[in-house]
Amino acid sequence: MILFDLFLILLIAYSVGFLYYGLYRNITARFQRRFGPPITQSFYDSIKFFSKEDSTSHGWMFYLGPIIMMTGAITTLFFIPFFYDRADFRGLSDYGNLFVVLYLLVVGPLGNALGVGVSGNPFAVMGVTRGLSRLFAMELPFYIAVIALISINQSADIATIASNQHETINAIAYPLLFIPALFAFIGMMGQSPFDVVGAPVEVYSGPAAEFSGKFLALLMSQGAIFSFAKLVLMVNLFLGGASGFMELLLKTFLLFLFVIAFGSLYGRFKTPQSIDFLLKVPTVIAIVGLILATWS
Amino acid sequence: MRIINTLLAFLSLALLLSFWQDNFSFYVDLALLGLHGVVVGVKTSALSNVFALLIGFSWLMVSIASFASKKNTHSTLFLWLPILSLALFLIVYTVDYLLFFVGWEVMSIVSYFILAPTLTPKALLKYILFAMASALALLMGIVILYSGAETLLYIDANHGFTLLSQQMKMILVLLMLFAFFVKIGAIGFHYWLVDSYAQADDLFTTYLSAVLSKMGIYGLIIFLTQVVDIYSLDWKILAYTIAIIGVTTSVIATFKAIKEDELKRLLAYSSIAQLGYIVTILAIAGGMGGVLYHALIHTLVKLLLFINIASIIALTNRSKLSQLGGLIYRTPHSFVLLLIGIIVLAGMPPLAGFASKYLVYTSLLDAKMLLILSAVMFASVSGFLYVYKLIYGIYLGHPTHKSLESVDEVSKWYLIPQYIIALLLVIIGAFPALIVPTLNTVLVQLHVAPIPFETSTILESPLGAYNGFVVMSAFAVIFVLVLFFVWRVKSKAKNVKNRFDIAYCGEEPTSATPLHYGYGMGQELQRVGFIAIIWKQSSASFYNALTLMLFSLSTRLRKVYTGNLASNFNWLIIFAIFLLCWGLE
Repeated sequence: MILFDLFLILLIAYSVGFLYYGLYRNITARFQRRFGPPITQSFYDSIKFFSKEDSTSHGWMFYLGPIIMMTGAITTLFFIPFFYDRADFRGLSDYGNLFVVLYLLVVGPLGNALGVGVSGNPFAVMGVTRGLSRLFAMELPFYIAVIALISINQSADIATIASNQHETINAIAYPLLFIPALFAFIGMMGQSPFDVVGAPVEVYSGPAAEFSGKFLALLMSQGAIFSFAKLVLMVNLFLGGASGFMELLLKTFLLFLFVIAFGSLYGRFKTPQSIDFLLKVPTVIAIVGLILATWS
Repeated sequence: MRIINTLLAFLSLALLLSFWQDNFSFYVDLALLGLHGVVVGVKTSALSNVFALLIGFSWLMVSIASFASKKNTHSTLFLWLPILSLALFLIVYTVDYLLFFVGWEVMSIVSYFILAPTLTPKALLKYILFAMASALALLMGIVILYSGAETLLYIDANHGFTLLSQQMKMILVLLMLFAFFVKIGAIGFHYWLVDSYAQADDLFTTYLSAVLSKMGIYGLIIFLTQVVDIYSLDWKILAYTIAIIGVTTSVIATFKAIKEDELKRLLAYSSIAQLGYIVTILAIAGGMGGVLYHALIHTLVKLLLFINIASIIALTNRSKLSQLGGLIYRTPHSFVLLLIGIIVLAGMPPLAGFASKYLVYTSLLDAKMLLILSAVMFASVSGFLYVYKLIYGIYLGHPTHKSLESVDEVSKWYLIPQYIIALLLVIIGAFPALIVPTLNTVLVQLHVAPIPFETSTILESPLGAYNGFVVMSAFAVIFVLVLFFVWRVKSKAKNVKNRFDIAYCGEEPTSATPLHYGYGMGQELQRVGFIAIIWKQSSASFYNALTLMLFSLSTRLRKVYTGNLASNFNWLIIFAIFLLCWGLE
């Protein structure tokens, strides 16, 4: 039964993830006064990549990178419950908690970083360097917000935190926690102004530089799944969770729309700039929020 | 020498395990020596058994690794190592501060003898100065404690402590904290540590980091729980002070580690940072479980990492990240073992490091130290940078020298202890509560609440539990499925024999192109304000200022005490007159 549940969770995350990815390309195009590709284009791309031959290989660790990344994404997804009051679509969330999820979120990217490192491409490693240098600044406001939520709810269980928001959702009850977490979340989704890791379009660099064929397809697919997992986590923590699919899709989509709109409007920070900003603005807000929310 | 040493290590571990449950105690009254009322002794307890296990295990692992070198290069090391280990056993098994001090002194002096052949005179001087300062502080503390209840046994120490005046209590606490913080290398007191770790014999560094630093933790546990009885005493300020020192240590040492290029210095700072986590939760009542758990995991992981580093240094004769690189397919076993090590060090699920980090976090949450917890998590995430740098610099990227392209796998004597430790770390990762019953016996002995325990797969805490077995199996099963899927998808790939065949903006790099790019990662953090401050500041400047002050003080003293016999005689007469007047009063 649980296997079927897990399969459905994966299927939904995969399809919704690609749907959102398609929408992302469309909506950003509109921001830039273009029309953009059809919504299904990204999905077709990923399928196409699976059938292409990969041009180079740098040994077994190079292959394992994207595979660990995919594993990390799927494992993270399984430990986040979709709904707070239903027995199904809970995945493995009963066996873990928020701390497990927080750490699982970084397992995949770090695994991939090994694959990137072994490729020996300095431009790819540049992306990893940027990502890791930025990581601690990005996670700090998010962690502070999460710590406050755990302390308020006296539980590290995601479903409990989601269900405790019956009256007011956390985003409204604790805006000084939500805002810094949102900044960090924009970074986690790889959007501007914190998107220097992949540095899409402009620079010939980023962790994916050396990958091709089915491994690039794997990276694309995990991106779709991982994005949806992170959206569901954020909805559970701050937007009151969901009790049905419509609510879940609506809330995740609204959050997603906000993130890509924000990303389209702002320019890109350099790595030290983004660290500086994240440590000065969101972190300070988060500390104030933490003190206000838990002072008693 | 090595064989005898290994046999002794094995014997001590075997003895320890076979008498694990037995209670043994032995007391001597020193009245025979004219010291009336002074009783010393040794006794087995759950706490001392756990620490003795760490000592015995580390001793054995280091001894096994020593067979790797063909020449008997470490001969003096293995002459002293049994004596050092005996001193450590004395420290953990004694029940009074006299034998504790004896063990502490023997430990410091024997370490000096081991360090002496390899350290530069300056580093050696730093080591011995700090070791002596630590021992002196400890001795003064013991004397103060004795003035209270006129006994040195731990069991009466709390009574003696309560008899002291408030000022004396304060002085005692400061002295003892100083003594133990020096050994741990808490920030500010770590001045000696990094140089000693970096220059010591590679295998002895392993022992230093895995075991000797834990003696500071053991001393603190004994002092805070048995003497001060910090949990029943509502001394919040002390708990907060210790926690803040701990977390500052972690944050600063983590960023110092990020900047390091030398393997052993990097791991030395990492060691300081990890012990910082332990110190942070030492003074809170719910933290003792985390303290013991993290001490255990840290011992294992530092054994693994330092042995790995030692093997790489022995193999390549290079000890800097900027001089290594690209060893992964030359030494695949070492790579996988280091990978396991850094996953544990970073505290990632599904391995054992996550379990101990989990206990650290939840105990801080439970104690409502939320800002400190934020800082601890910050340090922990920042640590990802140096662990990646470590594995990248050695094994990934490009070889920085031709000689690195033709090396072979390291000696099996290095691999055996690493595999044993890695296996333990994986098992503890899947069964995070496996060691909880053992730890609980210690917690009961220390009169703190035990960690809730149901089955060995679920690690419980006041704020929720997680199932290590499910996390690990989920990860493993998904990994295998994805691997299978990718493998089945048909595709052709040409394996690049030429490592320069990379996507490089349409050009082809040559061997002169600096491709081993990532070894310096983190350098751009220089532009972030507070990190630049951490990097620029060094405790050296403080100690240099202290030295200057001492110099000027001694110059003044020299004006009085000129060394001239006649003036000394004059002073003697003045002193005699003073005494005479005082007597007449």
